[in-house]
Amino acid sequence: MPPATELSVIGRRQPRLDGPEKCSGRSVFADDVDLPGMLCGKILRSSHAHARILSIDTSKAEALQGVKAVITAEHTQGMMSSRRGGEPVFASDLVTYKGREIAAVAALDELTAEKALQPIEVEYEELPPVLIMRHALQDGAPLVQPDKPGNIWSDDIDTYGEPDAAFEEADLIFEEKFSTSVTHNLFAEFHVAVVDFSLPNKLTLWTPTQTALLMQHALGPAFGLSISQVRIIHLNTGGAFSGRGGVRPHHYIAALLSRRTQRPVKVFAAGDEEFLICRALGENDYRFRAAVDKDGTLKAFDMDADMDGGAFPSEVGYFGWMAGLCNSWVFPLRGNRLRRRVVMTNTRPHFLPHGGMMLTTNAAIMQLCSKIAKSLGRDPIDFLRQNTIDAGHKGLSGEVFASCGLKECLDTVRRESGWDEKYGKLAPYHGIGVGIGAMAAGAKGAFTHDTSAALVKIGEDGIVTVFTGIPDMGQGTHTTMAMIAAEVLGIRADQVHLVAGDTDLTPIDIGAFAQRGTVQTGNAVKNAALDARAQLAKNAAAQLETSEDSLVFRNGRIFAADNPEKFLDFDKVVYGTLHSGEGRFTMGRGFYNSPLKIKTTSWSFGAQVAEVKIDRETGEVTVIRVTVAHDIGRAINPLACEGQIDGQVFSAMSQLLYEEVLSDEGLYLNPSRLEYKQPRTYEMPEISHHLIETIDPYGPFGAKEIGEGIVVTTGGAIASAVSDALGGIYMHKVPMSPWRILRAVHAKERMEAA
Amino acid sequence: MAKHMMTLTVNGDTYDLVVSDNQTLLDVIRDTVRLRGTKRGCTTGACGVCCINNAKGEAVLSCITHALDWDGESITTIEGLEANGELDAIQKAFIEFGAVQCGFCTPGVIMSAKAIVNKYPQPTEEQINAGLAGVLCRCTGHVKVKEAIRQDYRIREAGREAAKNATSN
Amino acid sequence: MLLPDHSYVTTDSLKECLRLLGENGDRAMVVAGGTDVIFNMRLKLFNPEVAVSIRKLEELQHVEELDDGGLRIGAGARLTDLEEHATINDRYPAFAESIRAVASTHIRNMATLGGNICLHTRCSYTNNSEEWRKGLKNCYKTDGNICHVIRSSSKCLAINNADTPLALIVLGAVLTLQNADGSREVPVAEFYTDDGMDHTVRQPDELLTYVTIPPVTDRTTFLKLAPRKGMDFSTVAVAARCDGAGTDVSTVSIVLGSISTNPIILDKPARIVSQKGLGDEAIAEALNHVRNELGNLTNLFSRASYKKQMAVVLVRRALIALRES
Repeated sequence: MPPATELSVIGRRQPRLDGPEKCSGRSVFADDVDLPGMLCGKILRSSHAHARILSIDTSKAEALQGVKAVITAEHTQGMMSSRRGGEPVFASDLVTYKGREIAAVAALDELTAEKALQPIEVEYEELPPVLIMRHALQDGAPLVQPDKPGNIWSDDIDTYGEPDAAFEEADLIFEEKFSTSVTHNLFAEFHVAVVDFSLPNKLTLWTPTQTALLMQHALGPAFGLSISQVRIIHLNTGGAFSGRGGVRPHHYIAALLSRRTQRPVKVFAAGDEEFLICRALGENDYRFRAAVDKDGTLKAFDMDADMDGGAFPSEVGYFGWMAGLCNSWVFPLRGNRLRRRVVMTNTRPHFLPHGGMMLTTNAAIMQLCSKIAKSLGRDPIDFLRQNTIDAGHKGLSGEVFASCGLKECLDTVRRESGWDEKYGKLAPYHGIGVGIGAMAAGAKGAFTHDTSAALVKIGEDGIVTVFTGIPDMGQGTHTTMAMIAAEVLGIRADQVHLVAGDTDLTPIDIGAFAQRGTVQTGNAVKNAALDARAQLAKNAAAQLETSEDSLVFRNGRIFAADNPEKFLDFDKVVYGTLHSGEGRFTMGRGFYNSPLKIKTTSWSFGAQVAEVKIDRETGEVTVIRVTVAHDIGRAINPLACEGQIDGQVFSAMSQLLYEEVLSDEGLYLNPSRLEYKQPRTYEMPEISHHLIETIDPYGPFGAKEIGEGIVVTTGGAIASAVSDALGGIYMHKVPMSPWRILRAVHAKERMEAA
Repeated sequence: MAKHMMTLTVNGDTYDLVVSDNQTLLDVIRDTVRLRGTKRGCTTGACGVCCINNAKGEAVLSCITHALDWDGESITTIEGLEANGELDAIQKAFIEFGAVQCGFCTPGVIMSAKAIVNKYPQPTEEQINAGLAGVLCRCTGHVKVKEAIRQDYRIREAGREAAKNATSN
Repeated sequence: MLLPDHSYVTTDSLKECLRLLGENGDRAMVVAGGTDVIFNMRLKLFNPEVAVSIRKLEELQHVEELDDGGLRIGAGARLTDLEEHATINDRYPAFAESIRAVASTHIRNMATLGGNICLHTRCSYTNNSEEWRKGLKNCYKTDGNICHVIRSSSKCLAINNADTPLALIVLGAVLTLQNADGSREVPVAEFYTDDGMDHTVRQPDELLTYVTIPPVTDRTTFLKLAPRKGMDFSTVAVAARCDGAGTDVSTVSIVLGSISTNPIILDKPARIVSQKGLGDEAIAEALNHVRNELGNLTNLFSRASYKKQMAVVLVRRALIALRES
C-alpha cells in the first residue's frame, strides 16, 4: 500500500465534482421530473389505527372529471410491498395503523387528485387498537395480526462466547434500563415516486434511494418482470440517513396507477404524510447488563430488548441484533447475549433511524461504561482504553478486525479536548463525556454476495468515465469514486466523469447502505480502473521500452519508476492506443465482492469527547464542543470526511436531545418540520475533526468508512456528557428534552439536599 | 376559481403568466415558469427549500405567499445567481468549502446565504446564524454552510479584483 | 397540499379594501405577509372564499413619529423593516426584541406587525393537513363541539403564540381597527379573548390598520424561551416594564405569552414588586403567585408542568433584567 506521500489524488481536499450543478439548480431530483402525459397520484389513508374494512366504493371518485384511475386492494392481486414482512400494498380486510394505504387515485392534476380522495367511501368496523408496546404484551390485548399471538413478531436470542459463565464469575454486575422514542429520518427531499409503466415490458421508477438493486428485486417479482425490466433512476438523492433502504407502498402504488392508466404517474408525499410513510425508530425498551472484574476488565454484556416494530416490523429484530453486537466490536468480550423480542402495535411500521438502533444503544452503553468507571474510581477514558480491542482481534462471531485505531482515537480526543484539565473539574451542570464506537462497512447477508461492479471508459481525449450503480445521497461517494479512478490512472479527479443513478446504464451495485460504498464500490471502481490501466500500460511499456510492472501513472504522465524524465502523456497514450493497428478503445471492468463469508471485512472505529452545559432552570442542554477522532483507514477526501463528521454530530445531537414524534392514540401530533425538532444554526457546537489512518488491508488505498460510524459514537459521547453534567445521573430515555433534563436536575438537587 | 394575468420578472426575464387564485409563488416558479432549481418541500414555511430572493435581495419563502401578490414584482431564484457563464461568489464558496452534500436544500440555503451577504458583506456569527436558522440543512448540520458564508467576501473581492484587472489590461 | 379553491383580490385603496371586507364578512380573510394565513390555508384549516391581500396598501406600511414622542406604525409594515428601524430600537428596545424574536429572518421578511398581532391560535390537533384531521372528531376550531386537548373544556384551548403583543401590552399600545363605517381604538391589552377560536375582538369586516405606541421612558424587557433559537414559536415568552431605577419601582407590569389562549397579564406578582421593589426577597414572593394566575394550562407543544415552571423562571429573569437595566 503506497504511503500517503506517493498518492497524488487520494488525501486531497476535493470539492464535490457535481458541486456546480447542485449549487446552480441544475441537479435533477425526482420531483423535478416531468414526463409527457404524467398524472398526479394521491393515496387515501386510513384514519383508524385498527379496523376491518367492510366495503370500499370508489365509484363517485371514478366519475369525477379528470380522474383516470382509482385503485384498491382488489386491483393488486394480493401484491406484497416487501420481500419479507407480509405487508400487502393496500389494506384489503384489516387496517392495522393510522395512515395505512386504502386506495389511490391518478388524475390529470394535483387539485383533481386531492379532491378525488374525498368521495371514496370506506365503511369501517372500528376495532380496539393497541398502541403501546406495554399494552400489546398484556394478556388479552387486541391482536394486531390475527396469526401473531401475544403480538410477538419474533423473539430471538443470539449468544456469542460464554456470557453465562462470564456473568457467573464476574466480580461486579451493572444493570441499566434505557428506552427510545419514535423518530423520523427527516431528509430534505420528501418521499416521491415517479413511475412510467405505460408499456408492459418496462417499469421505470424515478425515486431517491439508497439501493436501486433492492428496489429492482422487489418490484420485478411483484409485477411479473425480470429485474432488468425494472429501471431505477436515482440521479440525485436528497439525503437518506438510513431511511431509504428499500421500497415502500407508495412505489408500488405509483407503478400500479401507471400500469392501469398507461401513463406516467407521480406520487409525492405532502406535508404530514411524510411522517406516516417514513419508517424510522420506534419505542424500544432495553435492559443492559455488564459483567466487570474489579480490575476494570469488561467481560460480557447482556442485552434484553423489547422493540416496537409497529404494524409491520419486518427487519426491526435484525437491526436490534446489530445494535447489540456492536459491543463486541470494540471490547474483547468473553460473552455477549442479545435477546430481541419484536412486538407489534397498531402504529406506523418502524425500520431504521440514522445510526440505526446503534446510536441510541451506544448512548445507553457509554453512559453505563462511565458509570462503571466512576464506581471503580477510574477515569472513563482510562477505563475504555483498558478495554478496547486492537488490530488483529478476533471477534465473538467470527469477525477479524484487520485494522483498528481505537486506542489512538482515544488518546487523540483525550489530548485535543483538554480532558485531563476538565474531567471531574468542571462546575456543576457543566459536563464532559466520552464515547467509542465501531461501524461495519459491508452488507453481506442481503444476498450471498456483496458485489459492486464498475466500468471505466476512456475517451480518446483522455477523459475518463466511470459507470457505477452506487447512489450518492450526499455523502460524496461519487466524488470518492472519481478520486479512486483518478489515482489509479494518474490523472486529476475533475478529469473523471461519472455516470450513475440509472440501472439501465450502470453495472450491479448492492447500494449505499451498511456503509459499504467506499470499501465495496471503491474496490470495484479501483479494479475497473486497474483493468483500463493495464491496457494502457501494455502500449506505454512498449513505447518506453520497459516492463509494465515498473510503470507509474501520475500527474497525467506515464513513466518507468526509475526514469521519470522519460515520460509519455496519459491522453496521448490513450489516443495512441485507439489510433493504432489494434484500434483498441480503452475500457476497464471490475467488480469486488468481499472475500469473507461474514458480513464484512472492515470496521471503522472512533472516539469522541463531548462537552455540554445544562441550564438548571430550563433544562436546556448546550453542546459546547465535540472532539472527534475517527479511524477511517485512509481518508480519501478529507473535505468530505469533515462534512460527514459535522452532519453526523448534528444528527446525533438532534436524536439525543430534540427528536421525538409525539402521539395521541396513534395520531402523530407533530408531523412537520416546524414541530418535529432538529437543531438549527445557533445550537451547533464547535467540532474538531481528527482523521486517524490505520490503512486497512481490504479497502481501496486502505479506506474504510465514515458514513455512519461518527453518529453512533457521538450518541455515546453526548449521553455521557449529559450524565456527567448531572453529577452522574443515568439518563434512561431519549430524547433528553428539557423537561426530562429538568426532572433529572430536580432529582440531583433532592439527592444533594438529603 | 379564476385565472388571472400577471407579470413576474424572474432573474431579469419578464414573463406574462396565467395564474390561478390558489397558486403560490412556488407553484408558479416550478410549474408555470418551469424553473425547477427551487424545490418543493414542506410547503408550510418550515424547511426553507423553496427560498428565493425578493427585489431587495432578501430571503423569502415562496411556498407561503400567493403568486398574485407578486404581480409586477421581481425575484431571483437559484438559476439567477450566475452571470456571464460564471457562478456567483457564494456558489463558489459553497463548492470550495464543502457546504453541499445531497444538494436538495442547497438552492434554498444558497439563496438564504446570498441574502445574508447582500445585507452584510462581512457578516458576524450572529448575522449568519439568524439568516440561516429558518432553513434546514440536514446533511451538513449547517457547519460548512456557515464557513462558506464567512468566506464569501474574500472570494467576491478576489472576483472583483480579477474583473478589474481583466478590463484594465 | 394545494391551497383550497378561493378568490384572490387585491387593491391599493384602503377604502376599497374595507368595502370588500364589509361586503364579504366572514367569507373573507385578510392576507398580509401570508406566513400565517397561507400556512393555515395550506392545511385547509382556513377555507375563506375570498382572500383579500393588503400587500399593496402602502399607507399601512410606514412608521410615523408622533408629536408626543410616540410612534404610529402601520399594521402592514414588515417585521424586518421594523426590526431594523432606528427609532423603534432606540425608543422601544423591548418591542424591537420581541420583533426579532418572531420566527425566522425568512418569515420576518414577509410577515407584518398586524399579522403577528392577529396571529391565529395554534393547536397540535388542528395544525395539520385536512387529510390528517379526517381521523379526528371536529373540535371547536373545526366546526365541532369538543376540545381534543382537554376533553371537558367548554371552549377552544389553542395557544396564542404571538410575541410582539406582549411588548405592546406593557407599552400600553393601542390598535386602530377600521371598517367601512369608521374606526375604533382598542388597547392591545383588551384585544384578546380567552377563547382559542375567536381569539380577538376584531370583527370580520374590520382591518387592523395602525398600532400606536405612547412615549415610554420606563425600563422594559422581553425574553423568549423556545426549543431552538431563531426559528420557533415560543415555549414561554415574557414582557415586563417598570419605572424607577435599580430596585426602586412604583409600577411594574408583567405579561406572559405562548402558554395559553391569550397573553396573561399578571396581577398579584406585579403588585407585590410594585409595592416592595425589585429586591431578591420581593421577587421571590412575587414568583410564588405566578402559577395561580396561569389558569388551566394544556400540554400543547410542551407539558403543562414545564410551562408552569418556565413561566416562573422567565418572570424571575425578566424582573432581574429590569433591575439591572
